[in-house]
Amino acid sequence: MTPDIRWLDDPETFRVGVLPAHSDHRFYQHYHEIAGEHSSLAQSLNGTWRFHFAPNPQARLQDFWQADYDLSGFDTITVPEHVEIAGYDKLHYINTMYPWEGHHFRRPAHTVGQDTSGTGMFSTAPDNPVGQYALDFTLAPAFAGKTVTVQFAGVEEAMYVWLNGHFLGYAEDSFTPSEFDLTPYLHAGANRLAVEVFKRSTAAYLEDQDMFRFFGIFRDVTLLAKPATHIEDLHIQPTLADDLQSGVVKLDLTCSPVAAGSTVRAIIRDDEGETLMDTTQPAAAAQSFTSDTLVHVHLWDHHHPYLYQLYLEVHDAAGQLVELVPYQFGFRTITIDAQKVIRLNGERLIINGVNRHEWDDERGRAVTAADMDEDIRIMKTHHINAVRTCHYPDHISWYDRCDVNGIYMMAETNLESHGTWQKMGAIEPSYNVPGSVAEWRAAVLDRAQNNYETFKNHTAILFWSLGNESFAGDNIAAMNAYFKKVDPTRLVHYEGVVNDREYEDRISDVESRMYAHPEDIVKYLGNHPKKPFLLCEYMHDMGNSLGGMKAYTDLIDRFPQYAGGFIWDFIDQAIAVTDPVTGQKVHRYGGDFDDRPADYEFSGDGLLFADRTPKPALQEVSYYYGRYDK
Amino acid sequence: MADTTNKKLRVIYGDVTLGVQSDRVQYIFNYTRNGLESLVVDGKEWLYRTPLPTFWRATTDNDRGNGFSQKSVQWLGADMFMKAAGATVKIDGEPIDLPIAPGNNQYSDHEYADSVAVTVHFTTATIPTTAVQVEYRIAADGTLTMHVHYTGNANLPDLPVFGLRLIMPTKAVRYTYQGLSGETYPDRMAGGVPGTYTIQGLPVTPYLVPQDNGVHMATDWVEVVRATTQDNTQLTPGEFGLRISSVDAPFAFSCLPYTAEELENATHIEELPPARRTVLSILGAVRGVGGIDSWGADVDKPYHIPAGEDIDFSFKVAPL
Repeated sequence: MTPDIRWLDDPETFRVGVLPAHSDHRFYQHYHEIAGEHSSLAQSLNGTWRFHFAPNPQARLQDFWQADYDLSGFDTITVPEHVEIAGYDKLHYINTMYPWEGHHFRRPAHTVGQDTSGTGMFSTAPDNPVGQYALDFTLAPAFAGKTVTVQFAGVEEAMYVWLNGHFLGYAEDSFTPSEFDLTPYLHAGANRLAVEVFKRSTAAYLEDQDMFRFFGIFRDVTLLAKPATHIEDLHIQPTLADDLQSGVVKLDLTCSPVAAGSTVRAIIRDDEGETLMDTTQPAAAAQSFTSDTLVHVHLWDHHHPYLYQLYLEVHDAAGQLVELVPYQFGFRTITIDAQKVIRLNGERLIINGVNRHEWDDERGRAVTAADMDEDIRIMKTHHINAVRTCHYPDHISWYDRCDVNGIYMMAETNLESHGTWQKMGAIEPSYNVPGSVAEWRAAVLDRAQNNYETFKNHTAILFWSLGNESFAGDNIAAMNAYFKKVDPTRLVHYEGVVNDREYEDRISDVESRMYAHPEDIVKYLGNHPKKPFLLCEYMHDMGNSLGGMKAYTDLIDRFPQYAGGFIWDFIDQAIAVTDPVTGQKVHRYGGDFDDRPADYEFSGDGLLFADRTPKPALQEVSYYYGRYDK
Repeated sequence: MADTTNKKLRVIYGDVTLGVQSDRVQYIFNYTRNGLESLVVDGKEWLYRTPLPTFWRATTDNDRGNGFSQKSVQWLGADMFMKAAGATVKIDGEPIDLPIAPGNNQYSDHEYADSVAVTVHFTTATIPTTAVQVEYRIAADGTLTMHVHYTGNANLPDLPVFGLRLIMPTKAVRYTYQGLSGETYPDRMAGGVPGTYTIQGLPVTPYLVPQDNGVHMATDWVEVVRATTQDNTQLTPGEFGLRISSVDAPFAFSCLPYTAEELENATHIEELPPARRTVLSILGAVRGVGGIDSWGADVDKPYHIPAGEDIDFSFKVAPL
């Protein structure tokens, strides 16, 4: 396989050599490894990597990926870290405009313009910075002889990967894991991984989120050693009886590889350690387990996030434990009744939600466990019961935290293309993508699939969201159809049909709006609503704001079909710097880095300041959400 | 001549000023400076400049988004360039001619009263203009009650705020108030928990772009504590305080080291000048902050300050 830089220009090329997306389960060799999440089958490649920055593809080192390339002239960079935070490329905050606005004229390939091929648009662009990463690593001795993959949990925004001079593949979709098989080219002992990351590709059209525009390896990089029998994918399906009293768990497993004579043992325990299921089967490429009927099932919700513990033990033919997969899951149902009321476990769902960008004022979106723990603590303290992962999938452990803490999730797919249809405040979709443009369909379906396959086992996810502000078209309808096909147990959310009602019967189970005035919501809900109503964004907390929240919470009392909403947003996105004039540690925003055009302080809309201290408005949220925190 | 009067306040009928003295508090009203130039408690000065009505709040992000600052921009001029239209004086409840030269030659160095009231009349720098009165009433015990009146004029735009701004010569150490927790506004005060709160320093809420902040609604009293003066004989005299309390109804206030104009001029918090004063604004009317969006949605109507309606508020100033 030969890499081709023109893949950057082609919306139909977005994954090459990437292993199929699968569930996010961790796997271990021994029980004692679980508590500290120190799997002897995983080797972190985080740390200091060699790094070369090129301002554009023309200036990049053409053969840096070769196994014997002399790296002595390379700098170093930390992985994970954004290239801009490391100081190589300019920090830039911009909202709807594409980041090349005013610098370059571009139209998405296959839409409008004199040349719709897209050829060279990114691959020969003068404004497409390149990060060339290299890491010499020593394979853990225990990994020798096993299938070994490398997993990139998040790389923005397009990357090519080589091992020991052999090309492995190419990936986009910055916010879901990309995994490559290293086995054919792996040496015992010393190896060299080379990664070439481009700031821009056709993915840029789909990743126009209102945020600082970063690139680089910003989440963990991990080597995974897969035992002779390995659980590659796991689908946990807890199903409740109609009376919500009893339930059954079905487990669908995909194993790869599978060694002859190996077995899989499935154990389910309740939270007191009582064993509810313990079944062993021969391992197979595809297999299912189904529990007996569990009586007196504990339901999962915000106040009682009751989780059952699943263990999957893989034993070899000699009976030796070779792999262990722990996973926690809960029982809950999310439905829409005949009156168009959203019900969780049969009770009306009230979303006391926030939109949450991943943010750390020193590290950008490369958030830490401490950041996430603090976010959960603040949410629980202030009666916030739901989070929308605006507008991309988050760090995997965030989903675990939401399961454990009973935070309802709207799990959003990595998609936002508002620059293609929202211009100067007006709707102008002349070159909207994904729209109904055939060449852009597979890319967004892949994003939907990555989101679903990775996170499908998380009890906290009540809604799949197709993305944000991407208008409506056949391709988004296809994403909706995908989620409906693979997951009948959850609801699908998308707001953009507001702008094209032709699609409203094909996209989104809920009527979702953003920043709707209370009287407009009354108009919808007072007139035989077709769908339940929620606000995917409301109460824009920019600066000194959040006045008048009562007008929204009053709707909860008035309309059972009103399901609440997600405040915009949880935390200011601003960057901590030391002011050279006063020496104070201060926060900087768009335009402060000579980045133009910019959207300045428009990313300062949080309930928290960028350093996680609460804004004064938080007590108001706590009050109103507390009144509906049932 | 022996002091035989039982009246409590000593009155000094100066050529330019009116001095009023009680046991602990000494006041000097200056006719050329449109009000109270000096408020000394136990030998410490509390005023940097004459208190003036205030009309402007530093533009919030929502104000910018919905164009409120443009619509109400006249009030910025009024805030900065207040014009006085004379003063009136009452002694023991009776109006007297303004006691300036030569009329004040009738008085002596031993003049006393049970109450003194000075009312300063202002005209706003707006088109059309409207009238504002600031009345100072000093009771026999030396306490000061202030009454501020705004005369409604429906031909003016909604007000950003209406209050009286007292600037103190040095930065306060802290303030303590009885009211609601946190920063509250008329449309964002339901979450405020009643209680007594002490705020150390004079923090400016660090919104990315400095803007109106630090308002406390529904306050019964606030005590401001300082520990420094500009008096070269006692630059650091130890802590001393002043208490503002409600008269008829709770009041709103903010206590910050900056004026609205100083906040307005900064695009980042570090651009604000070094904090050296205390700007205590006692507010009779506060506009809501809004929250529906930041690009056009207006503040809900009940939280506007319509210019056509009169506004009156009172508060008491006393030593701790």
